[in-house]
Amino acid sequence: MKKYLIFAILFLILSYVLFGQELTGKKIIEKANETFNPDTVYARMKMTITTSSGKERTFVYDSWSTNSGEKNLMRYLEPRRVKDQAILMLNNANDIWVYFPRTGRVRKLATHAKKQKMEGSDFSYEDMGSGDAFIDDYTAERLDDEKMEGYDCYKLELTRKPESDLSYPKMILWIIKENFVPIVIDYYSENYPDRVEKRLVQSDVQVIDGIPTAKKIVMQNKNDNTQTRMELLDVKYNLTLDDDMFTERTLKK
Amino acid sequence: MWREKILKKLAGWHALHPWRMLAVVLLVTIIMAGAAGQLKLSMRTSDLLPEKDPMVVQYNKVLKEFKTASSLIVVVQGEESRIKEFAEKIAPKILDVVDSSQNKKWREEIEKLEIKIEKLKTRNGREEDIEKYQREIDDMRSHIDKVLFQRVDYKAPLDFLRENMLMLVKEDDLKNLKDIFTNPNLLELVRNINDSMEKEYIGDQESISTREKEDGAVSFLDGIQNLVLKLRKAASQQELTKEEIKAAADKILFGDPYALSYDKTTLILTAVPTFTIMDRDYLMVATEEVQAIVDDLLQDYPGLQAGLTGSVAREHDEQVYSQRSLGSTTLFALIAILILLMVSFRMWVAPVLAIITLVVGLIWGMGTTFFVVGSLNMFTALMSVVLLGLGIDFSIHIISNFTERRAAGESIPQAMESTFLKSGKGVVTGALTTACAFLTLMVSQARGMREMGLVTGAGLLSILLATMLFLPTLLVFRARLVEKKINKRGKGVREAKDISFRFLGRMAEWLGKHYVFTIAGSVVISAFLIWSAFQIRFDNNFMNMEPESLASIELMDTVLEKFDISTENDFTLVDSVEKSRELSKKFRDLSTVAVTEDISRYLPSLEEQRARTPVIEEIRDIVRESEIQNIFSPQEMEMLKREIGRLEMNIIEIQDMAFLGGRDKVDNKCKMIVGDPDVPGPGNILRDLLQTMESDFSAGAEGFSLFQRDFAPYFKDSVTGMCRTETITLADLPESILDRYSNTSRNLFIVTVYPAGNLWEGGLIYRFVEDVEGVTEEMTGMPSLGLALLRVFGRDGRKAVLLTLVIVFLLLWIDFGKLRDSVIAMIPLALGIFWMVGVLYLSGQMLTIMNMMGLPLIIGIGIDDGVHIIHRWRSEGKGKIRTVFSSTGKAILLTSLTTMLAFGSQFFSVFPGWAQFGAALFIGVAACFLTTTLIIPGIIGFIERKKR
Repeated sequence: MKKYLIFAILFLILSYVLFGQELTGKKIIEKANETFNPDTVYARMKMTITTSSGKERTFVYDSWSTNSGEKNLMRYLEPRRVKDQAILMLNNANDIWVYFPRTGRVRKLATHAKKQKMEGSDFSYEDMGSGDAFIDDYTAERLDDEKMEGYDCYKLELTRKPESDLSYPKMILWIIKENFVPIVIDYYSENYPDRVEKRLVQSDVQVIDGIPTAKKIVMQNKNDNTQTRMELLDVKYNLTLDDDMFTERTLKK
Repeated sequence: MWREKILKKLAGWHALHPWRMLAVVLLVTIIMAGAAGQLKLSMRTSDLLPEKDPMVVQYNKVLKEFKTASSLIVVVQGEESRIKEFAEKIAPKILDVVDSSQNKKWREEIEKLEIKIEKLKTRNGREEDIEKYQREIDDMRSHIDKVLFQRVDYKAPLDFLRENMLMLVKEDDLKNLKDIFTNPNLLELVRNINDSMEKEYIGDQESISTREKEDGAVSFLDGIQNLVLKLRKAASQQELTKEEIKAAADKILFGDPYALSYDKTTLILTAVPTFTIMDRDYLMVATEEVQAIVDDLLQDYPGLQAGLTGSVAREHDEQVYSQRSLGSTTLFALIAILILLMVSFRMWVAPVLAIITLVVGLIWGMGTTFFVVGSLNMFTALMSVVLLGLGIDFSIHIISNFTERRAAGESIPQAMESTFLKSGKGVVTGALTTACAFLTLMVSQARGMREMGLVTGAGLLSILLATMLFLPTLLVFRARLVEKKINKRGKGVREAKDISFRFLGRMAEWLGKHYVFTIAGSVVISAFLIWSAFQIRFDNNFMNMEPESLASIELMDTVLEKFDISTENDFTLVDSVEKSRELSKKFRDLSTVAVTEDISRYLPSLEEQRARTPVIEEIRDIVRESEIQNIFSPQEMEMLKREIGRLEMNIIEIQDMAFLGGRDKVDNKCKMIVGDPDVPGPGNILRDLLQTMESDFSAGAEGFSLFQRDFAPYFKDSVTGMCRTETITLADLPESILDRYSNTSRNLFIVTVYPAGNLWEGGLIYRFVEDVEGVTEEMTGMPSLGLALLRVFGRDGRKAVLLTLVIVFLLLWIDFGKLRDSVIAMIPLALGIFWMVGVLYLSGQMLTIMNMMGLPLIIGIGIDDGVHIIHRWRSEGKGKIRTVFSSTGKAILLTSLTTMLAFGSQFFSVFPGWAQFGAALFIGVAACFLTTTLIIPGIIGFIERKKR
């Protein structure tokens, strides 16, 4: 009897050690946010969008991000007709400026533009540059783990905090256990809370500068039945980026 | 026993009184032909759904109450100014179209009623009766020289907009745009446009991010493009008429009034009829008359193209082509079956008699259809094809037997009696089983499926009746003729030949002996085809059932391409303007909706109007105070140059934003103003204007002075006129607007919702219907009806298939009296259905409502093969598998081939939906024949081997 009791106590202790310190939703999203929004990053991206008449259009641009995505700068390389056009997003995309090289002018977009589609893509400005929104604007609840896209994943439900003004009331994330990369994100609709409005799927995960990085990203828009494909042609982390780079003044350079 | 008595009696009548029987048949045929001639055809989707379905009720209500729901659209393509001229010429001609074809009939009716009234008056009849007749006369008079169109819409309601335009603009937009209206002088106007553009299009990303906004931007840019072109003419002192200058101002203020495509190469005129789409006779006359007008006018406009589309033209085209197609395919099937029978029987008289009987039976069947359902729908229009394939089988059995009996030396009455007793029973049992299977479809709530069951079931019984009442009479006449010839010439005449298919017998015997191989092979093939059957997918594109070659269908695609709007839309009815406004807003918020049309477009809410009033008053006050300058000074020229340079930059920025944002329409419009950055060279009309101004400064100033003298006062007056601040009420709206959005009693309002894109691509139809039905369940229209049809057919189709299988099984059980035999007869049928769907999948086809209709039908058709084989096997006894398949195998091969020919004839139909139906049943009949002749020998072999 004594033997069984000792065994039971040992089992309880072992269970606590193994499972009691299991990651909470908050912990997981914090770790995922680190991989999703590294402090500084440079990337050369290829983005393919669908135009209003159903044609595909591909852009190549350089982007720089600092303060874990709070400040973003994008500068177009291709096609030729938009070469050097640049977009600056500050304060988690609350302030957006656009530089037009053909006229040499810089214009500011209205604040609410962050909820609009970014350059005809299925990403909104908010999707591209919302910094720590996962942590600041949402509460995370851990759901049962699932396999997704072939990876063992943590599954989290993010619910928008009442004070937040972000677009999506709910998101479901599948985060790879091994490297905390959010491999799939379902964005739920404001008007139809049970309907997935968009799905982000990341793939081709490689470790670059010690940071696991998905080199291919697809945003599927379930409402419009369109999708935007993004491909990382080049990426660098942990750079020293001067804050001056992210000003309206330097946008023209 | 009673069945034999009746059959004997009937055989006696035929043999003894053929003339009387012929007279009866002729009389019935004449009556039935008269009824069949009155059958009407409707190709509308709504006629396939349950009549009491709220969606169908709503749809029919819209058609009845809103004449605008039935429209005839004239699509004109060509150079902008010429298509506008064409529109101006054709519109009054369409309004003059009248239907005089029925005048004689109506006048005769009126005359009859007038005589009745006279009689009533002389006899001091009741006043109410006289009044009733008088009302009828008045109604009939309205049909004489009936005017077929009440309106032709091809321009915006400018008269109304001239007074109320600003009240219709949203408050935010009004604040953004107000600067444009405040000063009519050229320099200030261009400056104000620049200020406004920087606020509206550069300052706010949202401004071109929705379809409505994108259209607004294109229209505004179009006005600027037109103004720039006119200014260039003025700067180079080219002559400009006052009308051209006024039109330039109107385009800035109201946009282009014509219903033009984005690229300005296509214009549509919507002719609103005085009848509904349900008035078939008017619909046919109206379409043909307008087509004649279009063709006639096109001769004066070489290079232009024009055609008709819209619900009226489409219904007309479908009626004409479906009837033409059915006529030719039925004739083809008849000839093909005749040739097949002539080759099989190696004689021509009997096949001709069989075809005559079949035609009589078809007439009876169609007459019965008229009495039972009154009209044909997309499915029942194919009844002749179904009945043709099945009905001929009855004649084949009767003729074979009678000629055999005669060849055996029996007298005409004896031969007829034995034919009726031997073949008649089988024919009647077979026909009743198939008819019962068809009639089971009547459990469906869907009108299309229910009527299909009723019409094919009743039609089959009509053909059975014709075969039993008419064919024997013809055979008696022929036999008598043959007898006379024999007596005259003293030599025999060939009656029939034994042409049994021995290869079928040999094959069945081999399969029976090697039953393990047969059963194993059948299992393997069936498993593969069952797997294939489950791979088949449903075709979401309903347009794949429509004939692409019809002009009205082709033009629907043109409208979709040029106007980026689908002609297939949903709508709902509401009883107040407020509800209309509320719903319209909810619909517009849906991403699957491109635009909505409803009365609130011209009737903002009181709150909205109140909020807009101060802004409008501000504009009015400023514009009233503005001074018109008659002289355009050189200093102003300098300033205008700068503003034009600024305008160029603004439009370039809009262009770049539009390009990045994938807004092609705005990008394309900008290219027309500032050129295409990918194609360097000319094309920038603003640069051209600047060059013209610089080339002769004083001439430019003089030209602008002249332009401004006409432009500024007109612009000022127009803006002042638009600043009406009195509240717009329903009573203020002109008839042309009210008719479009409200019924004649003005107590119902229609909200029309257009999908954002091609409904048939990427499953948009599902998302669109789900979205709009999420706003209100009272939606109707083509997308909702189409999906409802799918749901009902899916549900009722499954129910009908299961019920038909059960009923057929029970009938077989009763007929065979043995469970085992009825199960054996059912096996090839059940597998045949899977083989059919599997082969459909393997041949690259998808499921549609048309080929799905073939599933319950094939149960009734395919069962016959198994029944005949099992019957013969039971009567022949053990070890006779070779005989069974040589003889009965021949019969089922022949009947299967005739049925396949009938269905196969639909391959040549112009209607892909009918071709899909024909193909499915062609494959189905072949599959059931193959499963019967390949699988049953194995099962029989197994049973006989076991017994041994």
